[in-house]
Amino acid sequence: MNQNSDLLTLRSVSKSYGTVPVLYGIDLAIRDGEFLTVLGPSGSGKTTVLRLIGGLEPLTSGEIRLDGQDISGMPINRRPFNTVFQDYALFPHLTVAGNVGYGLSVRHVPRKEISRRVAEALELVQLGRFADRFPAQLSGGQRQRVALARALICQPRLVLLDEPLAALDLELRRQMQEFLKSIQREVKTTFLFVTHDQEEAIGMADRICVMQAGHIRQLGTPHELYYKPNCEFVARFFGENNLVAGTLGEVRGEFRAIETALGRLVCSVNGQPHLKAAAAGASGFAAFRPEALHFAGDGDADNRLSGTIADLAFAGSSTVATITAGGDVAHRLRLRFPSRVDGSALRVGETVALSFAPHEGHLVLA
Amino acid sequence: MSGTGSPQPLNGRWSPLVTVLAFALPAIFVLAPLAIFLVYSFFSVDQGQIVYAPTLANYARFFTDPVFLPVFWRTIVLCLSVAAISILLAYPTAYFLTTLEGRWRYALLMLLMVPLLMSYVIKIYAIRSILGLNGFLNKALVALGIITEPSTLFVFNMNAILLTLTLLLIPFAILPIFLALERIPQVLLRASDDLGATGLQTFLRITLPLSMPGVASAASFVFVLAIGDFLTPQMVGGISGFTFGRILYSQFGTAFNWPFGAALSVALAVVVILAILAGERFGRNRGTSH
Repeated sequence: MNQNSDLLTLRSVSKSYGTVPVLYGIDLAIRDGEFLTVLGPSGSGKTTVLRLIGGLEPLTSGEIRLDGQDISGMPINRRPFNTVFQDYALFPHLTVAGNVGYGLSVRHVPRKEISRRVAEALELVQLGRFADRFPAQLSGGQRQRVALARALICQPRLVLLDEPLAALDLELRRQMQEFLKSIQREVKTTFLFVTHDQEEAIGMADRICVMQAGHIRQLGTPHELYYKPNCEFVARFFGENNLVAGTLGEVRGEFRAIETALGRLVCSVNGQPHLKAAAAGASGFAAFRPEALHFAGDGDADNRLSGTIADLAFAGSSTVATITAGGDVAHRLRLRFPSRVDGSALRVGETVALSFAPHEGHLVLA
Repeated sequence: MSGTGSPQPLNGRWSPLVTVLAFALPAIFVLAPLAIFLVYSFFSVDQGQIVYAPTLANYARFFTDPVFLPVFWRTIVLCLSVAAISILLAYPTAYFLTTLEGRWRYALLMLLMVPLLMSYVIKIYAIRSILGLNGFLNKALVALGIITEPSTLFVFNMNAILLTLTLLLIPFAILPIFLALERIPQVLLRASDDLGATGLQTFLRITLPLSMPGVASAASFVFVLAIGDFLTPQMVGGISGFTFGRILYSQFGTAFNWPFGAALSVALAVVVILAILAGERFGRNRGTSH
């Protein structure tokens, strides 16, 4: 399969329930073989995107193309997609084998072939011994894997996963994330995964599509989203971040200054021409990650800030300091630094000097 | 009443009594009469006087007399037919109800249950007047030209009992089937669609099997209510529509042979208990009871 060819394209897809719009002209291209995660808070329209692609609901306008052919009107049972539902939706009266083989049996595949492919699919999800159990006799993680095997057995072009890990506890969720990713690599099927959990998205996705209020805000690799957020929403939603509002100043090569209440800060505009092009005086944010912020030494000339430590939170391998900076409008900044075995010498209430390197800060337009 | 009257001490004082009543009431009003029936079935009658000496004569008579067993079997077949027809009619009705929007669904369900509020006897009279030789059904069939003269097919015979019992008991079939259908999560039907099943396949492979517990409950309800009914056969059955319930009734009434009536009741009770057990067995969801 070619990673670069588009499997499915959404072109100005809109959806309204009655008079309430939930999607505003979405454009999205899903590449063949990729693991694409649609990430957004509840109400962002992410599940609607999934339901429209799956054929559970009709589009209000726009079109969905599979291999270039419009499938907007194709009924759900004819689409070569299968869904892993949020609560698994296993058939309680059928055994594991009956559930997994369902998609083949309704297509009148010969019995022998069904049992062979069911055995293969159960082997793939490591449930070979559970073929004769009923769903009620399985744990949450096992049900999840049955649901996955059931979706994969028809060799769909696209597997749609609707927050399938939401019902699992943290430890199991981590295991299932790795498991899903490894299965996806093995079968090389395109996965479209919907979640509100950004940690989940970072862990699994090849690309992430961030949605908010019925719009796609940004589409890119987890790395791009983390280091080059293109708007305030993505900068705030995706990972922990410090945002300081200000007005854009002059461009200096690949950097640009921004005047903020905490002073003049210099941030990178690397790879984002629109940041260079924006007019001076336009409002924006300096965004820098808690791990980019550090206690300033003598060598740090740029982006010097000072503030008071309001809180120190030990988080295992790292410690997060919450720092109050600025005068009239207090900014709360977060600084993450590696924990040390002998503890930190810092105390709450202490005044500290901070800094971040210009190339580790980025600009976001308001 | 003292000022300390919080409900706790009151509950505490009364709770042993409540517990005793909870067990005693069913024992006194259900188990004791059944036990008395069982005991009476081993007595006999001599010239209108009950002889309190244990005997198996009543059961011997039931199994050997050429009158009783055929009526017994015929009644069971009749009631099975009533159950089967009720379910065939109730299932589509219940299914249709579940396809309706929430408000209409319950409004229509309530309408279907309204006949239960009417007196049983009045309903039988009403149906009797519909079924009679000059009844509405015959007149309508003649008027429509389907038959040339009034038919006796459903006048004071087994067919009349079958039709009447079905009409009377169908609400008891609709309700459990409706509840079973309503309990099926919609996402299962979507999952079936998603896996490529057609509408018919989804119905046959998902909806129907998952609603079987309701069907089993409905069947056992209708069967048990039908087999215990002597009034309906009495009023619409005429001479040919002779059911086991009527024999039972006559033993306690006209024949005044309580011990024999009790023995017949025990036979009927065995069938009823078996029907309830069967309904219970199949009324559970498969895959969850292992």
